[in-house]
Amino acid sequence: MIIYLCEDTLESIFTAIYKAYEEKRDPADTVLSFTDEPVLFAEYAEVVPDRDRVCSVIRTLERRFGEADYLSLCMALASENPKKAQAVYRTVADGLGRNVGRGHLFDNLADRYVHAAFAMSRGAGREIEHLQGFVRFQELENRVLYSVIGPKNNILTFLMPHFADRLPRENFVIYDQRRNFFGIHPAGKQWYLLHGEEAVQPALCLSKEEEQYRELFRHFCQSIAIRERQNLSLQKSMLPLRFREYMTEFRKD
Amino acid sequence: MNYLAVSGEQSLMDKLEILSDAAKYDVACTSSGVERKGSGQGMGNCAAGGICHSFSSDGRCISLLKILLTNECIYDCKYCQNRCSNDIPRATFTPEEICTLTMEFYRRNYIEGLFLSSGILQSPDLTMELICRTVLLLRSKYHFNGYIHVKAIPGADPELIRRTGFLVDRMSVNLELPTAEGLRNLAPNKHRKNILAPMRQIQTGISANREELSLYRHTPRFVGGGQSTQMIVGATLESDWQILHVAESLYRKFDLKRVFYSAFVNVTGDKALPSLPGGPPLLREHRLYQADWLLRFYGFQAAELLDEKRPFFNVMLDPKEDWAVRHLEHFPVEVNRAPLEQLLRVPGIGVKSARRIVAARRSANLTFGDLKKMGVVLKRALYFITCGGKMMYPVKLDEDYIVRSLTDARDRVRFGSDGMTYRQMSLFDVEQFSLPVSPAEKLQDAVGQF
Repeated sequence: MIIYLCEDTLESIFTAIYKAYEEKRDPADTVLSFTDEPVLFAEYAEVVPDRDRVCSVIRTLERRFGEADYLSLCMALASENPKKAQAVYRTVADGLGRNVGRGHLFDNLADRYVHAAFAMSRGAGREIEHLQGFVRFQELENRVLYSVIGPKNNILTFLMPHFADRLPRENFVIYDQRRNFFGIHPAGKQWYLLHGEEAVQPALCLSKEEEQYRELFRHFCQSIAIRERQNLSLQKSMLPLRFREYMTEFRKD
Repeated sequence: MNYLAVSGEQSLMDKLEILSDAAKYDVACTSSGVERKGSGQGMGNCAAGGICHSFSSDGRCISLLKILLTNECIYDCKYCQNRCSNDIPRATFTPEEICTLTMEFYRRNYIEGLFLSSGILQSPDLTMELICRTVLLLRSKYHFNGYIHVKAIPGADPELIRRTGFLVDRMSVNLELPTAEGLRNLAPNKHRKNILAPMRQIQTGISANREELSLYRHTPRFVGGGQSTQMIVGATLESDWQILHVAESLYRKFDLKRVFYSAFVNVTGDKALPSLPGGPPLLREHRLYQADWLLRFYGFQAAELLDEKRPFFNVMLDPKEDWAVRHLEHFPVEVNRAPLEQLLRVPGIGVKSARRIVAARRSANLTFGDLKKMGVVLKRALYFITCGGKMMYPVKLDEDYIVRSLTDARDRVRFGSDGMTYRQMSLFDVEQFSLPVSPAEKLQDAVGQF
C-alpha cells in the first residue's frame, strides 16, 4: 500500500493523482491523505506540487469527462471534508478505468467513493448557489463594494467569476473570514485572490448613502412578508442561521 | 406599519413601504428562465435557475424588488387591498426612483432584479405606458442587464405590450380567479376576455420571436423567460379539479411557463368574500403546487389526479401517493429495469433521483441502500418498488394497508427520540448487569479473605 501525503490544495492533489498513474499504482491499494497517521505496512510518499503535471491532469480530466464534470470535481476539492482527496482520486480512477465518457463521471453512484465525491461536490455547489444570493455588499467611502463571508467550503474561487460577470464596472472585494482570503475585482479588469501575510482586513469607512439603502432594504424585507402566512421554520430551512450574521437584513447594527 | 396621515411630500422610504406592502400578495416572484451573461459594460446578468437573495418571515423567497408603480387604482376588485373604495395611504413612484432603487439594491446584491406591477392609474393605457417608460429608462439610461418581470395590464394597447415585451425577461397577466363567473362576482371591472387577449398576444409574440431567433441570432428577444399567471385559491367556490383543469389548459393552449396559486388572504373584509378563521388555505395551495409539478415534470394529466366525482385533493396523502394507491395494478416497479416514466410515477422518487437511478444501474445492480444515497425517500417508496425482485420488507399490496402505513409514518415518533436506541452489546458491558457494590464487599476486595 502506498500513501501519498498531499496538502489541501488542488495542485497538490492533482500532482498526487499524476504520480499514482505515473508509478502505475493499483487504485484499490493507493491512498491520498492530508495527515501522516501511521498505517501498518504502508509506504509513504510526499507530494511536491508541479505545474506541468497539474496542467496535464486538468487537460485529461476535461477531455475525458467534459467541462461540467471537471468543474464538479473541483467543487468536491473545495469541500471541507478531509477525505476529499481520496474520494476524488478513486472517482477519477473509476471513470478512467471504465472509460465512462463525457458527462457520466458521477453516474456510478452505487460506488462508495463516487458517491462521496458526488456528495461533497453537491454540498459545495449548494453553498455556492446560496452565497450567490446571500452575499451582501457594503459601499465604502470610495465607492468600493465590500463583503464578508464565512462559508463552510472553500468556494471563493467559484463566487468571484459570477460577481465579476455581474458587476464588471465595479471595484469590489469579497473577504472569506474563515480562511483569510480576499477576492479582489478592480473595475473592468481581471479578478484575483489575495492570501497570506499581506492580506489584512482594512478599517472600513462606509459611504453616506450606505446607511440609507440598508434601512430601505430592511423595511422592504419587513413589509414584503404576509403576516397571515408567517412560517419561521420554513424561513430557517431556506436560509440557515449561519448565513445570517453576514446579511444586512438580519444584522442588528 | 401605520401611515395614516400622508402629508404633501412622501419620502422614498414611505413610498417603498406602501408600494411593497401593496405588492406582497403577488406570488410570481421568481427570477428563472433566462441565462444571460453580463455585457461587460452595464450591470447585471441572469442565471437560468434563478437566484434567491433572501427569505422573508413567511418563508417565501425574496428574489426581485417586488413593488407596484402605484397603488392608486380605478378598479374596485373586492379581494384587493388597493381597490378604489378602500381607505389606505396611496403613493406613486417616479420612474427615476424605481431605477435608482433597483440599481442601488442590485449593486449590493440585495436583489436579482425588478418585479413591477401596478394599480390602474386613470386608464390601462397610461399605466402600461408608465411601466414601459420605466423599464426603457432602466435598460437604456441605467444599463441594467439583470432580470425584469412586469405585468401586462389587461385592456392596454397591444403595441405598448409589444414594446415592453422586448425590454423585459418575463411578463405575466393575472388570471385572478379560475372561472369567468368568479371574476364577474368579485372583480366587476375585469373581464375574462380582456385578460386572455394579452396572454394570447404574448404567446404568439414569443413563438414568432423564437422563429426569428433561429434565423437571426442577434435579433432582440421577446419575453425570453416566458410568461406566467396567478390564480387566487379559496376566494370563490371552485373545486381543486376546476383549478387544476384551468391550469392544465393554460399550459397547453397558452404555452405558459408557470401558473402560480395564491392562498386567499382576506384583507378587505368584503361581505362577498369568505371569512377564513383557520387562516389562509395553505394546505390546499400546497397540494395544488404538488399537482402542478406532477403535470409539468412527471408526465401526469389533470384527469388522472382528480375528476368530477372526486373534485378535491386528499388532505392526508399527496397527489402522487393518492394516485399510486388507487392504481396498485402498476406496482411494484422493479427499480433495476423499469423505464424512467414508470420510475417517475413512484411516490418518493423525484425527477433527479429517477435520473440518477437510470444512470447508476448501467454500472451496478442497485440495492435499497444505494437508492437511499441517491435521494429516494424510502419511507414512501418502499411500498411500491422492488430491488432485484425483492421488496424491502414483506409488504402487502393492499390499498388500506398502504394508506394506513403512509399516513401513520407522519404521526409516528421518530426512532430514537424517546431515548430508545440500538446498541451493540458487549461482554464487557458489566455495569448493565451488576448490582451496586456494598461497602462490605469493597473491604473484602481490599483485604482479601481473612
